[in-house]
Amino acid sequence: MDNLDAARLQMAFTLIFHIVFACIGMVMPFFMIIAHKKWLNTRDPIFLKLTKSWQKGVAIFFVVGAVSGTALSFELGLLWPEFMKHAGPIIGMPFSLEGAAFFVEAVALGFYLYGWGRISEKFHWFTGIIVGLSGVASGILVVSANGWMNAPSGFDYVNGEFLNIDPVQALLNPAWFTQALHMTLAAFTATGFAVAGIHAYQIYKKRQVALHKKAFKIAITFGAIAAILQPISGDLSAKDIAKRQPVKLAAMEAHYETKKGAPLYIGGLVDDEKEKVSYKIEIPKALSFLAFGDFNAEVKGLKDYPKDVRPKVSIVHYAFQTMVGVGTLLMLAGFLFFISLKKMSWWKNKSFWLLFSILAPMGFIALEAGWIVTEVGRQPWIIHNIMKTKDAVTPMPGMIYSFYMYIILYGVLTVAVTWLMIRQIKSLNQAKLA
Amino acid sequence: MLNVVLFFLATSLVLYVILAGADFGAGIVELFSTKSNQALTKKTIYRVMGPVWEANHIWIIILIVILWVGFPDFYNVLVVYLHIPLTLVLLGITMRGVAFVFRHYDAYKDKSQILYDWLFRISSLLTPIFLGMTAGSMLSGKLVITDSYEQYTFYDLFIAPWLNGFSILVGFFFAALCAFLTSILLIGESDITNRKIYVRKSKYATLMVIGLGFLVLCFGFINDIIFITDFIKNPYTIVLIILSALLILPLLRSIKQATKVLSRTLAGLQVILILFAAMFAHFPYLIIASNTEMSLLETVAPEAVIKVLGITLIIGGLVILPGLFHLLKSFKMIKVLES
Ligand code: HDD
Ligand code: HEM
Ligand code: HEM
Repeated sequence: MDNLDAARLQMAFTLIFHIVFACIGMVMPFFMIIAHKKWLNTRDPIFLKLTKSWQKGVAIFFVVGAVSGTALSFELGLLWPEFMKHAGPIIGMPFSLEGAAFFVEAVALGFYLYGWGRISEKFHWFTGIIVGLSGVASGILVVSANGWMNAPSGFDYVNGEFLNIDPVQALLNPAWFTQALHMTLAAFTATGFAVAGIHAYQIYKKRQVALHKKAFKIAITFGAIAAILQPISGDLSAKDIAKRQPVKLAAMEAHYETKKGAPLYIGGLVDDEKEKVSYKIEIPKALSFLAFGDFNAEVKGLKDYPKDVRPKVSIVHYAFQTMVGVGTLLMLAGFLFFISLKKMSWWKNKSFWLLFSILAPMGFIALEAGWIVTEVGRQPWIIHNIMKTKDAVTPMPGMIYSFYMYIILYGVLTVAVTWLMIRQIKSLNQAKLA
Repeated sequence: MLNVVLFFLATSLVLYVILAGADFGAGIVELFSTKSNQALTKKTIYRVMGPVWEANHIWIIILIVILWVGFPDFYNVLVVYLHIPLTLVLLGITMRGVAFVFRHYDAYKDKSQILYDWLFRISSLLTPIFLGMTAGSMLSGKLVITDSYEQYTFYDLFIAPWLNGFSILVGFFFAALCAFLTSILLIGESDITNRKIYVRKSKYATLMVIGLGFLVLCFGFINDIIFITDFIKNPYTIVLIILSALLILPLLRSIKQATKVLSRTLAGLQVILILFAAMFAHFPYLIIASNTEMSLLETVAPEAVIKVLGITLIIGGLVILPGLFHLLKSFKMIKVLES
């Protein structure tokens, strides 16, 4: 494997790892403060137990998120020195604001974790809210930096130089809003379904049911609302891409021939060599409508672009299908949950709990797939239409060994954190509740 | 605005060295303790550091971000040529962070604690050594900054700058500095019976710092390392070093008498003096390669970028510092102010 591929794989792998922890660290505080609020209101010890147990989860995920994020902030430079040399000053603003947001979060978390019984109840609860809000703010800011890579703005590119830099305009690049909205919803969907799924499984196994039902309800409410909004936001993203990065759109849909009234493919096997898609279901004119809101709009196909500016179509297409497929499934599950609130008899049915247990990892699968669409779909560019990824990579040979090291390190960490979580749940199930 | 940015750069460097340094030192002190003292140290550290643990480590992120935004070419040299030691630093930071939460948040306190403890202690020792090595290699005069990579071997470009006597000594020196900070911090945090332990440790650590500092200077002098030969010629540096030498006696006395405020202030001052002496010795040429020297100030990003960065830092500072201060105060970590 050459250096470039190794560096790409390492970047992808570490981000895939970081995002899971970052999202949980960003969303779990919201579950925690709801449980906390319910405890303050009802003084039901179950809620206290739940709050404290979620708080441990937040602490563990926050730290693993923070260390893997620290690793990333070095890696951007270590792997892509040429990129950072030019992009660093331009997209510095979201990153420095992000630094500030992390700081606020860390300070607030210090108060929250160590504040039990030491600071006033109201202020204590309030610091929990700050943890949640600053976490979301940092997520939005970093995604804005990523948006800039998709839709570079805030500078003039003259003869290979970046002139007249305007960091504010770079922060508010054309992609930031749709991406940040979609990403924030995704974090809530993924974490909501994952946490709810874990508690659903405990209910399915009939352990500590009263507690897990309360936990399930809090987590799934967030997840379900976000999952229902997600397709709407995804549609906004797609319309945005149609204008901004038409090659990416074409790759997502495996759309090779330029056409008016282009059909939408569902499923299908992509042949990158022959530039053909077989075994697909075709919905006539749907792609034109989804991309431009007009059944007869012209959608440019991949064949209209030179080969060296096209991403790898099969990966982008499969990842996109996965995201949309799972998105639809989770939206339906979201509706199912809200209906179940009217038909409480479903909650006595074991298959209801089994269903939500199975859905636990789905949100994260969609989330990773979505990022693969965005990132692989941007290739071969690291900065869309400005700088190629191959021109940004570090000159140091032997990146493959660094990649192996990260695989081992994060592999071990994943196992360790999973084991720790299993122990948390076990201790929760053994606890005696009044 | 450039001055604002430089101010924040220096401040986050100093704070990282002192706060994270004391944090690394915690693991080192624990590593070099007898079994019963280990448990005691672990408990004290958790009480003292727990609430600010995360915040301590964010300074390095701020540092990195300021460098890449404000001084992109400078940052570029670091990440290209010091890739390996920086990766080792990351490895250490990751292990430490994980071990710290695991040992405090695991639902059951059983045998696995032993593993977490050792992981924590060993990575606490290795991380500052690697950090010091990275800093040492910036100044070692062994870096080769070039565009034609083919003319050099992998070893010359990517290994020799950090794997050499000077950089390694700087690494050990920094680790000793960390242990020094923590042992003095812990004097004031333990009760009278245990205080002796940390008084003794503080003395050893002080001696280690002096000894290793002296070794770094001698080694550099004998091997004609430009940074060191300039270091001992620069008048500002000499003043700072003399000042720090003069402070050693009152420091040792305050350690012996276990005066909390004074010993902490003096310890912090020592570190700041050493850090500034090192910075002034060659400022603004903070990268000394074998074929060239690189000035921090010649790599400054365009005006507009520095302006926005400065404003962001000021706003961030205004939001964060009061919060941090309040946090420290709420958990009685600034008892200094009351006594
Ligand atoms: C729970 C996760 C999740 C779910 C259910 C969906 N997505 Fe998504 N999607 C993401 C998680 C995600 C993501 C990981 O968060 C991405 C990557 C970059 C971004 O901004 O969001 C993303 C990117 C992304 C993009 C590319 C944006 C870009 O490159 O700028 C499009 C067009 C869509 N999504 C469209 C959809 C549609 C039509 C969905 C319909 C159901 C959908 N997504 C469900
Ligand atoms: C998809 C993209 C990303 C999202 C949504 C995201 C979000 C987050 C969040 C919410 C946190 C706080 C940790 C927690 O609350 O558990 C975090 C931590 C962190 N992230 Fe990311 N991140 C992303 C990618 C990146 C990238 C590309 C970088 C590198 C430049 C990065 C750097 C960091 C750093 C340095 C931290 C640690 C800060 C601390 O000490 O708390 N993140 N991330
Ligand atoms: C969870 C979130 C993310 C995932 C899973 C992800 C995934 C990936 C993948 C798969 C690649 C390799 C693409 C290829 O070479 O084909 C990549 C590259 C990269 N990503 Fe992301 N990404 C995420 C978020 C981000 C964010 C938030 C940023 C920046 C702020 C970012 C910056 C980069 C950079 C600089 C590269 C390397 C250059 C390139 O290949 O274009 N990524 N990422």
